[in-house]
Amino acid sequence: MATHLLFESSSGYAVFEVKLAEDIGSKSREMQDSIKDLGKFGKMVSLVSFSPFKTAAQALENINDISEGVLNESLQNLLELNLSKTSKKSKVVLGIADPILGKSIKDGLGFGVDASEKTQDLIRGIRLHASKLLTGLQTDDLKKAQLGLGHSYSRAKLKFNVNRIDNMII
Amino acid sequence: MLVTKNLVPGESVYGEKRISIEGGVDGTKVEYRVWNPFRSKLAAGVLGGLDNIYIKPGAKVLYLGAASGTSVSHVADIVGPEGTVYAVEFSPRSGRDLINMAKKRTNVIPIVEDARLPNRYRMLLSIVDVIFADVAQPDQARIVVYNAQYFLKDGGHCVVSIKASCIDSTAPPDTVFAGEVEKLREGQFKPLEQVTLEPYERDHAMVSAVYQRHVKHN
Repeated sequence: MATHLLFESSSGYAVFEVKLAEDIGSKSREMQDSIKDLGKFGKMVSLVSFSPFKTAAQALENINDISEGVLNESLQNLLELNLSKTSKKSKVVLGIADPILGKSIKDGLGFGVDASEKTQDLIRGIRLHASKLLTGLQTDDLKKAQLGLGHSYSRAKLKFNVNRIDNMII
Repeated sequence: MLVTKNLVPGESVYGEKRISIEGGVDGTKVEYRVWNPFRSKLAAGVLGGLDNIYIKPGAKVLYLGAASGTSVSHVADIVGPEGTVYAVEFSPRSGRDLINMAKKRTNVIPIVEDARLPNRYRMLLSIVDVIFADVAQPDQARIVVYNAQYFLKDGGHCVVSIKASCIDSTAPPDTVFAGEVEKLREGQFKPLEQVTLEPYERDHAMVSAVYQRHVKHN
């Protein structure tokens, strides 16, 4: 079971610690209701660190790597910084959304990784409450970041399209 | 006639008619855009009798199969400035039009990416209230279920347009529709409504369902 969680957002990366998520099946109604309730969910996970992207270019670079399951240097440094300091006796297992990125993290850093259904439910909870859980974000910040990054990611997709018939230069 | 309240008054998106009426704040006019059911399956579903499309002011909508963004622009009108439409389209040619439409409607987040690979665009999304799908692919139900697992809230809804010939052109349409509904059911959706899109589209159905992540339906 995951001891930590990685959440990748348009605004930046966040690492959470899993505090309370015992053996309740993630598919039970109680568990789903607790995830929906910020008060209860806030007791299940706690933010270890949130590292906002500093520029739009940096955000684009990172979403390109994340979408391909590539562990780049900035994510590598962030994970090392935040997960190595935890006590050695409790082994770190990082919950992640994407098993492909999980493999890159496991190979690159040696952390245990977990992409089980339970992990996915916890990440769903973070995604639901993200604007409240990521400290330092204003209400509309996440939406603005999504909008900007959505445009730049999509424009880049058109630019690097190999199908040239689709690629009219205007 | 079906219309949506224009989020960007004074402009058409794809040459559609606009209608201004009295009744705005301080004697100003309110502008609406005509929503043509022959050009938009969602409009056909509304006129075909769906009681609820769950797309409403303030809602977050994941729109799979956004194409050039003509229907998406009406969804953006409906959710309004407080809502968000995450519009996914894989074709670069359509994607270009989608991006251009989204420049004027800032509640639309354009995502040129494959809807089969939701992990690739997970950084761009929040949890959504509704998934609308019109991807015209044989594995559409699976695509909807897969996206729901990542992005649809427990108790959220999906509205899915099904073109029988895209799934199986040899089977009778009703059999195809029932098969797709069953796949949604297996993906923890509880079906709510189903309408035909006649006379606007042939052999199409539109289905709505509610996502129940806490229950297994099989």
